[in-house]
Amino acid sequence: MKFKKMIVCLLLIAALSSVVFAGSASAKSVLYEGDIQAGDGYQINNHVIDVADVFPSEDYASFYVYEKDTELMDKGLDINDTFTFEIDNEEVEVKLLDTKTGTLPRAEIAITITDEDIINTKGVVDGGHEKAEFSGTPIIEITKSVSSNTIQAGDSVTVTVRAENKGDDEATDLRFSNNLPEKFILEETFVSQSGEMSLDVGESQQIFVYRITSTEPGTFTLKPTTATFSNNAGVDFPQTSSNTPTITVEGEPAAMADVEVSADLQEPVIPRGESTEVTLLIRNNGEGDAEAVSVDIQLPDGLEYESGDSEIEIISGTPTIYLQTLGVQQEKEFTFNVNAEEMGSYPVTASYSYISAEDPEAEEINSETTTNALEVTKGKYDVIFEQPLYVYIVPVVIILGAAAWIYYRRQQYRF
Amino acid sequence: MLNILMVGNGQCGNRILDSINRQAFGSKSRFAKFYSKQQYKSNVQTLAINTAVNDLKEMKYTKAKDRIHIPHLHGVGANRNVGRKVFDENKSQIMRNLDERGSFDLAFVITSASGGTGSSFTPSLIRELKEQNDYPVYAVVVLPFREEGTLYLQNAAFALKDIRESGVDGIILADNQYLKQMGGDVESAYDSINEMIAKRLIFLLDSLDSEMMMVTDLGDFKTVMSGGAGIATIGYYEADGEVPIRTAIQKAVSPSGLLFNTNVYEEASRSMMIIRGDKSYLSIDEISTEVEKLSDSVGHVFKGIIVRKGEYPRVLSVLTLESASELEELYHLAVDAINIEKEKKERVQKDKEVDKAFSQIEGLEPHY
Repeated sequence: MKFKKMIVCLLLIAALSSVVFAGSASAKSVLYEGDIQAGDGYQINNHVIDVADVFPSEDYASFYVYEKDTELMDKGLDINDTFTFEIDNEEVEVKLLDTKTGTLPRAEIAITITDEDIINTKGVVDGGHEKAEFSGTPIIEITKSVSSNTIQAGDSVTVTVRAENKGDDEATDLRFSNNLPEKFILEETFVSQSGEMSLDVGESQQIFVYRITSTEPGTFTLKPTTATFSNNAGVDFPQTSSNTPTITVEGEPAAMADVEVSADLQEPVIPRGESTEVTLLIRNNGEGDAEAVSVDIQLPDGLEYESGDSEIEIISGTPTIYLQTLGVQQEKEFTFNVNAEEMGSYPVTASYSYISAEDPEAEEINSETTTNALEVTKGKYDVIFEQPLYVYIVPVVIILGAAAWIYYRRQQYRF
Repeated sequence: MLNILMVGNGQCGNRILDSINRQAFGSKSRFAKFYSKQQYKSNVQTLAINTAVNDLKEMKYTKAKDRIHIPHLHGVGANRNVGRKVFDENKSQIMRNLDERGSFDLAFVITSASGGTGSSFTPSLIRELKEQNDYPVYAVVVLPFREEGTLYLQNAAFALKDIRESGVDGIILADNQYLKQMGGDVESAYDSINEMIAKRLIFLLDSLDSEMMMVTDLGDFKTVMSGGAGIATIGYYEADGEVPIRTAIQKAVSPSGLLFNTNVYEEASRSMMIIRGDKSYLSIDEISTEVEKLSDSVGHVFKGIIVRKGEYPRVLSVLTLESASELEELYHLAVDAINIEKEKKERVQKDKEVDKAFSQIEGLEPHY
């Protein structure tokens, strides 16, 4: 009995395995299933499977596999035999199904491939690989040049990007990518190829022409312009990059502003309901003037702005200080009062922004400073409200009683 | 517990009564009436009567229900004839108020002898009280400053006579002229005199209803007050430190302690002496020696001793007088005052002849 059970289990495992393997086989795509005469071939991209000889009497056929004109392998198959090879890392299987007689004998074959998507050209080729047409290799050479490699700070330079196809096939789906260099401002664009384009063999074209202006001294290497492309057969080629010219910018760096804001609490601890003064000191520590200095006083929930210097405006509920300019080493002090009704810890944050007057990029600089937390403790009279009700009722009753007694006595003695 | 009636007639009587009520609160604070209670040992009913409403309004420590205003302008203008008439017209109202207060064991009527309302109301009131009740009624009479004027002097003479003849059981004299020796301005002198009189009466009331080591009671008081010429005065001494009891007794009968100027060893007829204080001060030997010394002169001395823990010695003496040389002096002055007033009146009658001068131009008109 035990032996019978083992047999049944093995059969079930074998059936399950066949299903699994059948599933794997089904992942392959059948490229071709049919007859091919001896001397003809089947082309897949730049590969050709030539049917060299067919011997129906022997149920045998011989095959050659070429990549363009180069023979990769030769195989002889009996009926139902197979051989495999790879194209672009995908496995191609050739199976001889039958041999047939005729003026020229024919072999019935089945060709399958693991991923059909890589196939661009396929079909039966009369005359085999010698008659097949193959796709070429485009070679895109990108040249990036600048009008001058040495300029003064604030001067402009023109950048030209050209591309030339030095390969033997047309470049299709050609797409360029170009990044502007740091510390330069794009002044004007003369040429800019956008979208997909193509470039014939030997063709040269301006891709980008633009003018940029330096913002600060230094030596800067431009980033390469890159391109992706395919050939006529749709074969994608690796990304290619341009050269990276260097530009030296001479001159003194721009005098930049360096604004610092500090905030101090007059009293770090205050009783609930009372106010304290906060002092904001805005100081320009840089070597250039600051413009459009804006300071927003951010108060946490529960902390209320009570009053402050007249220069502090309330904009959308936020106390704000705005200074048109703040000179070198200049400082300005502002004070305001805050209070809180509830106990807690309240940090006061001043977020500020400014622009360096001499910054050609006019880049807005943002920062913020935060005070130590203002600790709001119990109010002077909070203890009164923490007492049980009788503490209030008893004195009130006593006072009312005393008042009633005084009134009664007064009436007794009033004549 | 004794039921005692105290009536204050006129401005002076009202003020002394108010001072008694204030001192009964046991505190000098003006707010004492709001937080304290009068500490009378007896059932003491006080009543202030006046024709001047402003005098009644001045009272601060006497309940409104214990003040009776007899409407007659604003006083009787020191005219006792008017005062007597006003009392007669309002007698029923006054007596009804007194009747509503129940019966008493003893009554004091406090008055000035010289004013209008008090000096005229008191004899009539005492007469009515005596007719309608059988309890003893004593008058506390305050004599005027001699320089206050002829009207007051003649009022004092006649009022004192009328009171004595009203059926009163005794007159306790206090003399402003004698007491002004304390000095100070007029207002403070009046206040001090009123307080002195009030303090003595409070002490007397307290003593009559206290438990004593050696007993004096209302009966003894009556006996003392019925002696002599029906005129008495009160002496008092209150030590403010440790004082031998004999010294306290001597001071209580010395001129500085009396309300009326008299030589007790010559003019007193009977005496009651109430001695109070901590037992450590109450030496029986010393008390006996001093009382015997006084007895040798006045005849009988009732003595009572009250022990109060921690209290310095206090002594009250009630002395009835056989004679009062000071009173005789007062009456001499009063006779002079009456004569002066009489002469003034006659002169006024003569002055009316001046009117004849004016009569010469009657019927004539001025021409310009």
